[in-house]
Amino acid sequence: MRLVVVSAGLSVPSSTRLLADRLAAATAGRAPAEVDTRVIELRELAVEIAHGLTSGFPGPALESALDAVTEADGLIVVTPVFSASYSGLFKSFFDVLGARDQEALTGTPVLIAATGGTARHSLVLDHALRPLFAHLRAVVVPTGVYAASEDWGAEGLPERIERAAGELVVLMTGTAAGREAPRAEPGRPGEPEGAGKPGRNGGFTVVPFEEQLAAPHR
Amino acid sequence: MQFGIFSVGDVTPDPTTGRTPTERERIKAMVAIALKAEEVGLDVFATGEHHNPPFVPSSPTTMLGYIAARTERLILSTATTLITTNDPVKIAEDYAMLQHLADGRVDLMLGRGNTAPVYPWFGKDIRQGINLAIENYALLHRLWREDVVDWEGRFRTPLRGFTSTPRPLDGVPPFVWHGSIRSPEIAEQAAYYGDGFFHNNIFWPPDHTRRMVELYRTRYAHYGHGTPEQAIVGLGGHVFMRKNSQDAVREFRPYFDVAPVYGHGPSLEEFTARTPLTVGSPQQVIEKTLTFRDYAGDYQRQLFLIDHAGLPLKTVLEQIDMLGEEVVPVLREEFARRRPAGVPDAPTHASLRAAGANAEEKAGGEAERKAGEKTGERAGETAGRKE
Repeated sequence: MRLVVVSAGLSVPSSTRLLADRLAAATAGRAPAEVDTRVIELRELAVEIAHGLTSGFPGPALESALDAVTEADGLIVVTPVFSASYSGLFKSFFDVLGARDQEALTGTPVLIAATGGTARHSLVLDHALRPLFAHLRAVVVPTGVYAASEDWGAEGLPERIERAAGELVVLMTGTAAGREAPRAEPGRPGEPEGAGKPGRNGGFTVVPFEEQLAAPHR
Repeated sequence: MQFGIFSVGDVTPDPTTGRTPTERERIKAMVAIALKAEEVGLDVFATGEHHNPPFVPSSPTTMLGYIAARTERLILSTATTLITTNDPVKIAEDYAMLQHLADGRVDLMLGRGNTAPVYPWFGKDIRQGINLAIENYALLHRLWREDVVDWEGRFRTPLRGFTSTPRPLDGVPPFVWHGSIRSPEIAEQAAYYGDGFFHNNIFWPPDHTRRMVELYRTRYAHYGHGTPEQAIVGLGGHVFMRKNSQDAVREFRPYFDVAPVYGHGPSLEEFTARTPLTVGSPQQVIEKTLTFRDYAGDYQRQLFLIDHAGLPLKTVLEQIDMLGEEVVPVLREEFARRRPAGVPDAPTHASLRAAGANAEEKAGGEAERKAGEKTGERAGETAGRKE
């Protein structure tokens, strides 16, 4: 199962990454099959994300990250709380993702998590992250994990991590099993011509024109 | 292969002087650019269509009609004609009129337009963009091919017994290119009709262009218009040249860095590495342009964006001189040398008229043969035995 972790922490080391790693380890530990985990540090992609917004196409490292997120069986997303919401970098990453492929996260199980200096912002999970991923048509697990500074020395955080990871694993198991063949295979030029072969249409799913012609009248 | 210039028609301040041309200056500059294109032996001039500042070309056929009167060989085209917000009836009329005035030197590129408010300003809904493009073109296609049209659709008032006038010159509708940067539906539309597909690749990495063109070529063959290699493909490109490539970079960078479309993003170097943009010597432009066929196949039309980012007219005309003198002659030769037999040229009025005449002759022959068969049938067994 492919697990992708998106961490929007800015400092190194960051508590956001710390939480992300804890969530990833708990998820891998509970999974029935081997988990292939990839961690994406948005800090390293910050410039490419900004360029992606202005130029409309992703740089190579960002492209690889977007591909990984699109193909993931499950996603863990962790952002620091900035100005009472997710960080701008975190949002921009998903803006670029959605602009490239608005179906990229459709049906993908997502565990939402955030870190902050105080527990006063913990509802950011339900007031900012949950609607964002609902909009992206992801399936957000019921338990979100918020870690304020004080939580790292208090009871409760490990249990919340385990509960959220357990919920993510249940959804991922279903997704990984029921997942269809990848939607868009990259095309292969030079391949002998064969009708109906995926890849010969540039990797696009084709809606035959007769159907398109009929569409306005539906 | 055809080579030409396409202009967005933006009014952009020259960042090196801070001066903004007036609308009149910009409009006249576009005309001067078109005339220069013909003078140096380019094949095509295409104007954009926009309905908001800072763009001037809201009325393409007015401009192209004026250019037609002052040129002899140049093909006049658009980049793009808005098939969504324009009434297809008016497009049919305007471009047929232009065709007559320009003695057939007209084709057009249809596009949807991506300026959201233009849709409501023209009474349309941008969410219906694809559906508008499909329905409107289906009507336009008929208006140019059927003398009397009865039609009913979703997006405009019905037509009963309508004849679009003037009829296309010699009964040959203008050739249509469908332009789309990222909508597979439009590649599919172009393929369905056997029309041309123009991918304006100028801000896109090669792989994206490759996929869009491959989709169009595959579907073109699917609909029985020919092999994928025979599909009619056009590409964009944007260049800035000086004899010495360092001079080109030095002179263009201040324009690039603040240009409305690509300024403030990736650097000039990153942009030239990842997109078709070439800033350098004519030889570098030749080499880069020849790579387009590596991912798009042998194609029929290459349009260059030259007059952008606030470059002064004098500079733009120098660029076109260099294109005409140093770049395009070499590209013509090199593309021709690489192109396998069987890859067609872009259709022109003359070639479409000839193809139409051939088809008519065949159809005529067919009808005569059928008539002959009928006579034979009536004549009885003898004719039947002969076969």
